[in-house]
Parts: sequence; C-alpha cells; structure tokens
Amino acid sequence: MKTAQEMKPNSVALIDGQPWLIQKAEFTKSGRNSAIVKMKLKNLLSGSSTETVYKADDKLEPVILDRVDVTYSYYSEPNYVFMDNEFNQYELNKDDLESVMPYIVDGMTDVCEAVFFEGKVVSVDLPTTIVRQITYTEGSARGDTSGKVMKPAKLSNGTEVKVADFCNIDDWIEIDTRTGEYKSRAKAPV
Amino acid sequence: MRATWDIFCSVVDNYGDIGVTWRLARQLVAEHGLAVRLWVDDPAAFVHLCPQADSRLLRQEQQGVEVCAWAADWHAVEPADVVIEAFACELPAVYIAAMAGREQKVLWLNLEYLSAEDWVEGCHGLPSMQSNGLSKFFFFPGFTSGSGGLLRERGLLTQRRAFQADEGAREDFLRRLGVEPVAGALLISLFAYENAALGRWLQVLAAGPQRVQLLVPEGRILSSLQDWLGGPALQVGDTRQRGQLHIQVLPFIPQDQYDRLLWSCDFNAVRGEDSFIRAQWAGRPLLWHIYEQADHAHLEKLDAFLAFYKEGLSADAQVALVALWHAWNSNGPIGECWTQLLKSWPEQTTHAEDWCLERASQADLAEALVQFYLNWL
Repeated sequence: MKTAQEMKPNSVALIDGQPWLIQKAEFTKSGRNSAIVKMKLKNLLSGSSTETVYKADDKLEPVILDRVDVTYSYYSEPNYVFMDNEFNQYELNKDDLESVMPYIVDGMTDVCEAVFFEGKVVSVDLPTTIVRQITYTEGSARGDTSGKVMKPAKLSNGTEVKVADFCNIDDWIEIDTRTGEYKSRAKAPV
Repeated sequence: MRATWDIFCSVVDNYGDIGVTWRLARQLVAEHGLAVRLWVDDPAAFVHLCPQADSRLLRQEQQGVEVCAWAADWHAVEPADVVIEAFACELPAVYIAAMAGREQKVLWLNLEYLSAEDWVEGCHGLPSMQSNGLSKFFFFPGFTSGSGGLLRERGLLTQRRAFQADEGAREDFLRRLGVEPVAGALLISLFAYENAALGRWLQVLAAGPQRVQLLVPEGRILSSLQDWLGGPALQVGDTRQRGQLHIQVLPFIPQDQYDRLLWSCDFNAVRGEDSFIRAQWAGRPLLWHIYEQADHAHLEKLDAFLAFYKEGLSADAQVALVALWHAWNSNGPIGECWTQLLKSWPEQTTHAEDWCLERASQADLAEALVQFYLNWL
C-alpha cells in the first residue's frame, strides 16, 4: 500500500476492485485542514473519468505496471504517437497525457516511458528533468543574478513556466516535470 | 420518517471542534427536523458548552440532539443515513464496516475546517472513493457560493439587529453577566489564545484618549492578561483598571450568550473557527487570532481571508486592517496598528456590517449539507 501523497501521476491504484489511472495529482496543506491530494482519475476498464480527493495519508493499493522506453514521434489528430526502439507505435490522446501535455513539443528527444495496463498503453511518463527552450519572456526587470527572483516565460507549445529573472528568449532551461518548476539554465540538447 | 444523521467529533484541543459540531447538530434538529446523534469523545468539553449536560452519561438528549459518549471501546450501532466525520476525525472501523454493509446507502461526509483559500472551491463536494465501495465526500465550509457556506441559524441576523437596536436589552444582558457598563467606553470582547502582543495593545488602550471596557471570557488569553497586569491571579468576576482601560474577567459562557456578548461589543477579538464566524455575524469590526501551525502555515490562511475581507475598504483602511491582524498573529507592533485602525473606525464599522450581509446572502452550512444530501439521494 502507498499513501495518496506517494501516488504520482501515471500510476494506477486499485480502488474497490477497479483500476484507476491517476492523470493528475495536486497536494494541498493549509492551516488545521488535513493535507489532501486532489486527483483526476480515469477508470481503465470503463474509460470514465472522475475527480476525487484523499487525505494525504489515506492508503491506496498501487498496481504494478509494465513500462517500455519510447520517444515522441508525431501528432496525428487526435493522437500523440510514441515509438519504442523496435519501431512499435503507441497512440495516446490528450486526456491520456494530461500530466505531461505541458511538455510535449515537436522534435523532443526525451526518452519517455510508456505505461501499460494489461497489455494496453495507458499513459506516458516523462523523465524527471527535461530541457526546453524559452520562446518568450520579458527582459530582466532588476538585473537580478541570484536566481531567486522569478518571472513568467513561455515554451514553444505555449506552456508558461516561472524562470529565473536572468533567463532570456532562446535560452534552454531544465524543468522538473514532477512539479513543473524551473531548475536551472541548460545547454541546448545535441 | 425523519432522516438520521450521525456527527462524530473528536475534541483535539480547546472548544472549536465541539463548538462547531454542537451548533451544527442543534441547527439540523431545530431547522430541518432531522434526528441527530452527536458522538463526542470528550464529554467534559461538551459540558463546558452545554452546562446542563452530564458528562457521566453515555447518552442524553440536549436541545433535541442525542448526545452520545464516543468511547474507546465502541459498541456496535446502526449507522445513520448521513454520517459526518468532523475535521477528518477517524471513525471506528466497526462503524465503517457497518456503513458498508448497510442495505440503504449511507452518505459519508468529511466536514473540514474553514478556509478562504482558492483551492477550497476546487475540492468542495468531491468524493473520496474508498476500498470498501463507499465514497466519502469532502465538505468545505467557506465564504463563497462555491463552498459549503458558514454556520448561521435562521433568523440570527434579525435577532441580532433587534438586540443591537435595543439599548436596554444590551444593558440587561451585560448586567446579568455581572458587567456594569462604563459610560462612554468603547466595549471590546477578548477571546484568544495566549498572545505575547497583548500587553502592547493594552498599553495603548490604557493610555488612549477614550475609555475602553475590555471583557475577557475565561480562556487561554488570561495568562497573557495576567502577565501584563501582574498582581494576584485573575479570577472570574475580577475587575482591574489601568488608565482608561477597565478590564473584567467573565466566565466561559454558552454559545447563545456569547453571541449576545459579541453583539453588545463595539469590537471583538476572537480566535479559532466558531467564535471567528460568530463575530462576523455580529456585524462589528473584529480581530482574528488564528490557530497557529508549524511552519507558519496558518498565515497563508489568514492572508487568504484578509484578501477577501478587505475588498471594499479604502486603501488606507485596508492597510490598517491587515497591519493590525498581522501584528496580532505575529507578535508585531499592535499598539501602533490599533491607533492607525481607529483613524478608519467608521469605515471599518460599516464594512463589518456590509460583509456580514453579503455572507448572509449565501446558503448556510446546515442548509448546504441538507441540500447536498437531497441531491445525493
């Protein structure tokens, strides 16, 4: 068993005999309220989706899933197509990829993991750290070099990320895909 | 047949948890005709709020509510149609199993603490699917129509307005409490946790241009008051005077009387959750001492409320209000902040009433719970 807080997006929990894919998980803790995790779940048998909330320490039964390394190939409406190193293709729609959609860009070379439940691909996990290029951000407001002052920046797919004030347009940055947070500036991928 | 409701309350500390659940239970009975059992794991705390109750009884009826001792050795009972676990308390495992096995489905609710934070609306009313086939719904009280609302009895504001309009009723009430109103004084009630900032506030009140009468119901703030006053230990009924400041210690009073105390005062310092809400229904300026949490998690909650509450005040009045509340909750310069707040006093007073009326236009918590049940059916 794992706590709700330990269950991450793209993992599957068995709840009352039904397999539920966690498409999104948001942790909240405030004041005296119990820490909670709000989740978007998809039933892997019926395909229905639901929003749910758990106390962070509620216990859930994780399902062990098969995983295969894949890379993103192309978009063929309405599906995003991923390929493994044996050229098998796996198609997933936007809803299946909810937690990673902000980081899907054309030409990305990240080695991802396709997640399978009973032989069927159900989602894709990105690496913990990815490198993306800033396509737009305002200039540095205060000339800050500490990295503590943040400002909004856009990626090529329109995703907005808070980056250090010293970052510029065309800079490459590292992003933590678990939190969506900027980590540092990076070199352009080769 | 009346729907049956079970409310479970685990008293963590103080009287906030039992205060809210006792108030809710009474309202569900009085206004919605429901059969309510209130399970309390600390009957002595309940007796503090309901002095006519007997803490030795396993079951007793008080104001139409069946109040039951929630003992460690749980005896099986038939679960109610609606089950509320207040503030995420853990229900007895046997009781949960009985809920799962009940022929007629049970609505299981987790009633959470009050918060004005943005995320509340997104989580309010969501189910939490359990491994036993039950769903538990998270119910969040709050200040917006997207939340579960606030506890407010039917006719409360009408009663309050009538009381406040009748100077004789106010004086009678205060005299029954043993309080002799000080002519021309600003009347303040003080209910708070221990607070190191208190002395600095009282210093300013004592040296101020206006007489102030400070009424302090028995509670944790007394130790801070004692520190400032010095001298013999304070007892209920004691009065002290320092300059313009007249202080009186009151007994811990039942909820209905406490409402009238809030209605009687020009300014109310309150704490936690129940008295915080009641002070808002009093329509008078207030000061909230929020329950302190590790890592200052409570300050976010405080600011979320302030961001909402201060809307409609002028810029100067907003600054004064926020500064006062921060000073009170962070051991800041509350004396200076109080002096600043007084400059916008008429505006703060009008705003408190406007805020009250705006909140009262929303469904109250008990009504929202009943409606949630009807929709669920």
